[in-house]
Amino acid sequence: MAAKLAYRYLRGYTLDPGFSTQLDTMKFNQTTYRILWEDLNAPENLGPAGEYFEVIDIDPPSNCYYEPINLDSREVLSQNGLTPSEGNPQFHQQFVYTIAMKTLEYFEQSLGRKLIWNSRVTHESGKIQEHYVKRIRLYPHAFRDANAYYSTEKKSILFGYFQAAQQIQGTNFPNGAVFACLSPDIISHEVTHALLDSIHPRFLENTNPDVPAFHEAFADIIALLQRFTINELVINQFAQSDGSFDKFTYLGELATQLGSALSHGRGALRSAIGGRDENGNWKRSKADPTLYQTKTEAHDRGSVLVSTFFDALIKVYNYKTQDLIRIATNGSGVLPQGVLQLDLATRLAQEVCAIAQHLMRIAIRALDYCPPLDITFGEYLRALVTADIDFAPADDNNYRIALIDAFRSWGIFPDHVNTFSEESLQWCTPDNFAQADKKALVKVANFLRGRVRTLYNLSNREAIYHESKKIQAALHDFLLGKVQTDDNNDCKDEEQVLGKKELESLLPKLGLSSTSVDYYDSGNQDENRKLMRQKNPGEPMPIEIHKVRPAYRSGREGMILEQVVVTITQSTTILIETGRVDEDTKEPIMDEMKFRGGCTLIFNMADEFKVNYLVTKNIASQDRFLKQLRYQQGGDDAALSFSDSMYDDDNGFGTINFANLHFH
Amino acid sequence: MSNVNVNIKMFQVGELGDCFLLKFKEDNKESAVLIDCGSFRNSDKSIKRLQTIAEFIKGDLNEKALDVVVGTHQHNDHFSGYVHAADIFEQTGIDNVWLSWLDDPKDVDAGKIAAGQRDLTEKLQAISSRLTKNDNDNHSLAAEKINDMLGFYNAEDADKPLEGKKTKVPVIPKMGLDNLKKIGKNVNYLSPGNVLDLPGLSANSVKVYVLGPPRGGKLLFDINPSKDETYDIKLTAISNLADGYLAALTNYSGNEVGSNERNFPFDKKFEKNLTKPEFLNSAYFLQDSWRKIDDEWLDQAGRLSLYLDSYTNNSSLVMAFELVESGKVLLFVGDAQTGNWLSWENIQWDKDKVKPGFSLDYLLNNTVLYKVGHHCSHNATLKKYLDDKITHPDLVAMIPVDETDPNITKKKGWKMPAVNLYKKLKEKTFNRVLRMEKGFDADCDPNGAAKQSWAKLPFKPVVDKKNFYIEYEVHG
Repeated sequence: MAAKLAYRYLRGYTLDPGFSTQLDTMKFNQTTYRILWEDLNAPENLGPAGEYFEVIDIDPPSNCYYEPINLDSREVLSQNGLTPSEGNPQFHQQFVYTIAMKTLEYFEQSLGRKLIWNSRVTHESGKIQEHYVKRIRLYPHAFRDANAYYSTEKKSILFGYFQAAQQIQGTNFPNGAVFACLSPDIISHEVTHALLDSIHPRFLENTNPDVPAFHEAFADIIALLQRFTINELVINQFAQSDGSFDKFTYLGELATQLGSALSHGRGALRSAIGGRDENGNWKRSKADPTLYQTKTEAHDRGSVLVSTFFDALIKVYNYKTQDLIRIATNGSGVLPQGVLQLDLATRLAQEVCAIAQHLMRIAIRALDYCPPLDITFGEYLRALVTADIDFAPADDNNYRIALIDAFRSWGIFPDHVNTFSEESLQWCTPDNFAQADKKALVKVANFLRGRVRTLYNLSNREAIYHESKKIQAALHDFLLGKVQTDDNNDCKDEEQVLGKKELESLLPKLGLSSTSVDYYDSGNQDENRKLMRQKNPGEPMPIEIHKVRPAYRSGREGMILEQVVVTITQSTTILIETGRVDEDTKEPIMDEMKFRGGCTLIFNMADEFKVNYLVTKNIASQDRFLKQLRYQQGGDDAALSFSDSMYDDDNGFGTINFANLHFH
Repeated sequence: MSNVNVNIKMFQVGELGDCFLLKFKEDNKESAVLIDCGSFRNSDKSIKRLQTIAEFIKGDLNEKALDVVVGTHQHNDHFSGYVHAADIFEQTGIDNVWLSWLDDPKDVDAGKIAAGQRDLTEKLQAISSRLTKNDNDNHSLAAEKINDMLGFYNAEDADKPLEGKKTKVPVIPKMGLDNLKKIGKNVNYLSPGNVLDLPGLSANSVKVYVLGPPRGGKLLFDINPSKDETYDIKLTAISNLADGYLAALTNYSGNEVGSNERNFPFDKKFEKNLTKPEFLNSAYFLQDSWRKIDDEWLDQAGRLSLYLDSYTNNSSLVMAFELVESGKVLLFVGDAQTGNWLSWENIQWDKDKVKPGFSLDYLLNNTVLYKVGHHCSHNATLKKYLDDKITHPDLVAMIPVDETDPNITKKKGWKMPAVNLYKKLKEKTFNRVLRMEKGFDADCDPNGAAKQSWAKLPFKPVVDKKNFYIEYEVHG
């Protein structure tokens, strides 16, 4: 029997191709990436097509396509892939595939389950249909612009390329071609958008200024943390920057080549750790608690979260390495001038790589602890803290404290929390539920227990998708109090069905409502407030089950957690006058505002299927409704349409369009 | 020094366009200021309307010349009247012409910027005409977006080409500019920080503060104010993108491909023809047509034209007229977009010409008449100023918009007036919003729903359908 193939080794850039032609950076700008092996046999696909991704190298502006690379050919396998090269489109194909796979790997490892892409939704004769999407498509050369984006409709990531400016700026090659698909940052940023969209499809709805900012920030955090896991790069940068983050390193810079080629030669598009002042001197950025209050543009606001995260990384790093520095300096803690000794640089780099990996895992896992919609940075902090308490109760290296401290110093505070302590930040448990509600929750748990079992044994993603959908549909009916007619489970028992009374009491605790809810255009105090018009007034709001997924994962301290993550949402459509009239029908044109509520439930499979946490966004919250209404109607100065176009209006009722929300 | 009243007429140009006549009255002195005169199209109907309006202005002035004529920025919808009604303006006479520093032929920066802009406009026209030749639906959609925007410069698609002039960009606004320079006795090029006395009145009775377009370029182009990029380089970068786009179109023209395109982005040996059987049998070609990206790149065209549009709008001359005695301010912003607005805070005012402690806030806080920018599109009024600074209880807003304009009524047309901004304006003015095409909405009716609100002010607006204007007065 042939040996099992575990890994595929492929060479690639660590930063941007621009660094390969600079003497001081060329030697660490290449590495050999190790990605999971998979069969890629599908010649009709015109490019590598695996389980999760397919690369298709059609270049419509050039009216051609490029010969696909065969990653299984001897030439490629024996050489650890093609040599990194800007001038060879086949290397580009190899590279997008490599980084996409690497990013996915981090997600699956952290989440402890197989990733299933967000379904494709079509509207056929008035009915909404969902379709399974096996692979995300990667187009390395899709258009000519300094941009790259994830298209939710095409389930594809499109990378652009362009001709660099004629002026000499930074390290660019005047008039040379610059490719977004050769920047590992850009690739993992865009893949992360697709991954986040698959885990939380409702995060595309621009319901508060943190939502688009979160999408951007999260993609940047993952892209940057990935860079910290490339050992040789970190060693090199550390040796030059005396092992601290107070001097300039390339580690915190995103998309340097693209940035240099684009605007004014000041380098990276975004920087997480510091920036250059007017005189071109690099300075580490200081925590500024006012920025979160004042920055409303998605990227600016997002960069507050990115900086917060890196503050935490640096805090943990300083804590963990102070002993090393003392040992290396005979106790003085003061390093001599000049380049760091290689042994020390190597040790420090090891530490930072380990920290970055842990933080990435924490960041990704926390997604399962987020509410299914309307995320805020504060809630993400609570998710981070709660997830980490589960995975590392002892918090040996103070990751949690570092995160909490960083969020505090950047002025990000969650709502509805009494103190800024671990205990308060941790999400609620149903412990204080009334007996009847606890009993009802047990029924939900019992209902799921039998069904989720069937999911354990499935390994085929499409089968998991369809089986999950079935369970979701069943849970949906269950929450409406319908008796199940399915043969192979124990729910025929009337005892196990949720009665009307039980539902009326339980649903509000889950952020849902069993009846219709009225919303007003201003708060309780206002006597003149008006009732908002709903599309389906008086009707109970439809319930959606987004996710029922078991996950197995191991924590920092070796703990194993077996959980089931369930997300439930409910929505209503509010009609808002635009003052415009349809030219053909003479009917007034109405904007439709979706208002949603719901919850994330985390069941513990190892402990009687108890509900560990309950994360709610209340559908009946008049306060949250008003906030969303004001925001989407442009009450803040946020650039809601993300564009200056005359074809757009400043209302955030539509979903986020990544093509407009530029990478830069 | 004595009290000054201002009579403002917003003319109905019949489509999108700006034309405002301001008559300042001080005892027995009077000063007439015309701010812009243009409409979007150059059809016979458009021309005739502008001529009618110009004739009216001439008659209204009663043999007196216009004291000041302002051209805020070189877009057709602000300048075309200076071409189509040039004769009438010549008969009326113009004492002073005020233009922005960007129109100053002696200004080196301005020259460079103008050249860059012309260059980009020409490229877009070339792109548009190439796209139009192609009968692919998606191509013509992209072309349509460019053409919508090019209309501001005087349209490729003008109903009537000008005699003897094969369109060279941007012909009409440029001609209008030349006419103004020719007719006007004095021509002034204004920069932010300038403070002027209004000609025709006693010194220090009406002061004019110039707020934009920004100099030094930091914010002229920028639609995203957080990035401190200089616009020259940005314009170059956009121009490069347009080049790339244009070069790409040659790949579809069947003509000889330009030398640059031959090895871009890769050596030609890597290119495979899309008619090859391998491609025609591929999954891309045969399956899941919803995932194809054949035309996705064409969308860039719309984005390119948007860059140019924002650029020119931000080059608008912005002026605040202060009635010194009463302290009331009239704010005329042209089509200035965010970048222009944000630059005002950093203006260095001439200390000798302003009172001690003078600041931008003083002007904004005392604004009682706001000429809404860019036909009330969502990005041409800085909402945070409207929330915190333009808060005078007497505030009135005038919007030169015409919702019957084909660019607005068509499917996926322009969003003017922008819903939320329009709503906010009504809120901030207590429903005293005047609109060019119809006077006012029902909820702003001075004789109806908004009677009380208007009654707080000394003048009730007048809609004169015969002479095509909406009239309002600010009393000092």
